[in-house]
Amino acid sequence: MSLDLLREGRVVGALGRRGLSVQFRKAQLLMPTFVLPLMLLAVISSGTSAARDLPQFPDVTSYITFIVPGTIIQGALLAGLTTGTALASDIEFGFFDRLLSAPVHRTSIILGRLFGTVGLAMLQASFFLLVALAFGARYPGGVDAALITVVLAAFTAVGIGGIASAIAIRTGSLSLMQSIFPFVFVLLFTAPAFFPRELLTPVLRDVAAYNPLTYVVEAVRGLLAGDAGLGDPWIGLASAVGLAVTMTALATFALKARLRAA
Amino acid sequence: MRLLSSTGSLWRVSSRASPLAVEIRSLVREFKGSIRAIDGLDLDVAPGEIYGFLGPNGAGKTTTVRVLTTLLRPTSGTARVAGHDVVHDADAVRRSIGVALQEAAIDPLMTGRELLRMQGALHGLRGAEAKQRAVALLDRVGLTEAGDRRVGGYSGGMRRRLDLALALVHRPDVLFLDEPTTGLDITSRSALWREVRALNAEGTTVFLTTQYLEEAEQLADRVGIIARGRLVAEGTPAALKAKIGEPTLHVELADAADAGRARAALAPLGTLEEADEGEPARVALQAAGGSAAIAPVILALDEAGVAVGTIEVESPSLDDVFLAVTGSKLEGAAYEADEAA
Repeated sequence: MSLDLLREGRVVGALGRRGLSVQFRKAQLLMPTFVLPLMLLAVISSGTSAARDLPQFPDVTSYITFIVPGTIIQGALLAGLTTGTALASDIEFGFFDRLLSAPVHRTSIILGRLFGTVGLAMLQASFFLLVALAFGARYPGGVDAALITVVLAAFTAVGIGGIASAIAIRTGSLSLMQSIFPFVFVLLFTAPAFFPRELLTPVLRDVAAYNPLTYVVEAVRGLLAGDAGLGDPWIGLASAVGLAVTMTALATFALKARLRAA
Repeated sequence: MRLLSSTGSLWRVSSRASPLAVEIRSLVREFKGSIRAIDGLDLDVAPGEIYGFLGPNGAGKTTTVRVLTTLLRPTSGTARVAGHDVVHDADAVRRSIGVALQEAAIDPLMTGRELLRMQGALHGLRGAEAKQRAVALLDRVGLTEAGDRRVGGYSGGMRRRLDLALALVHRPDVLFLDEPTTGLDITSRSALWREVRALNAEGTTVFLTTQYLEEAEQLADRVGIIARGRLVAEGTPAALKAKIGEPTLHVELADAADAGRARAALAPLGTLEEADEGEPARVALQAAGGSAAIAPVILALDEAGVAVGTIEVESPSLDDVFLAVTGSKLEGAAYEADEAA
């Protein structure tokens, strides 16, 4: 590995550490990433558990076991969105200029931010799995399935973080980033996060087929339940990795375009 | 080693042959709407110099700094820092410079020490080295005790000192300070000035923008005055002031009735300003040498039998220079162009 790569690796590590540590120092940042998904998990698991009795509902150990993949992916979405919000804040308040005036590869600035997102998403996913376990969820897929779930959540968060970063870089507006928060729920509910795809309305089912998160949620569900019939882990991994790579590239292009226009 | 520049000012330069610290040629920077924040700027800063870039808000100071620190591309013209082109060799420029921009852009949720270590990593320092450098710099700017506190709790002066420390992590050749003391109280301002002088004494070139005349006078070896994106005057503070006139001696007479005799006695010593009817006991005389002219003035008045109350010497200020070269006073002046940056 060349010295330059090692050096850039240290930059990515330093920026990632910053992104992650700052996350835990402000209640406003913890609320959407840790508290909100758990609240939604509590509301859905208690309020709509009767859905388990519907025909076509898969045979799972508990309703919470079925919906915890939705919570994990919701957490990943929000972690990704937080990445964009934090980046917009850096741009708006000038911290981004500090990074740009340093002799680091421009891509490292994006990767550093997303590296923090990886850490956050892994912590979130582990936390949600443990909380759901405490409340009755069971994971027949075992520890391996849980670990792969954490990895899938991390890739998903990077994908969403990538597009959020691209928007933040393009607009430099913190308020705009905050205003796109509700769209996370559109993405979430157009994927079968809390209901099986078969029980969605035909229109929503068609939309879900084009939502890459559909395949990630189903893969996590299949992994945790130890039932590949609920979702193919390889398709889920391909969706999450594809999303992460495409959106990271998009964010990098957005930064290069911004710098060209500067 | 000291050299006399073409403009008659003294530059301190390193004894070995080295490129100019900053070299700007015909620099233009336009923003949307064809607003020209920089309009054909030519400027040189020698290694080891403190260069004060003086002008009101919107004059083009910040845009110039942003071009020199690679944050903005020039529309046309060239700029080199430490011998490197800001467009074609931007990474080399970034390795050579330290930057403290107008707003101390510091993450309030991080501690001073964390920020210094992160900045060290951005400049290629390894863990232990970055840690040691953070300790040394916190000590240098007097923030050792506050180093593990979150920056959000720092005062304005502490944030500025930390910002300066961050700019020094990699021991830059050229330090850019964009209005470093704006909004600071006089104590914090003086502390920062001391630090800038100390850094310069160690060999760091300092490019300082300011809208404070006193700051430019206190710190800068040379001053460039920018107005509407153009350099309208440049030189040492003393040379700039000398260009616009001699110091003025204001003589307060004990008896206003002696004004006529006093004016007659002082006329051979310099240029008398017109009498102010509102203050008949005051006579103003522009005389070479400033305070050195006090003794001859007193002697001449004594010989003429005129009793003197007080004598004050007023040197032309940089504000007078600014007024002379731009037609407006610096204080309160503001242009729109630089605000687009």
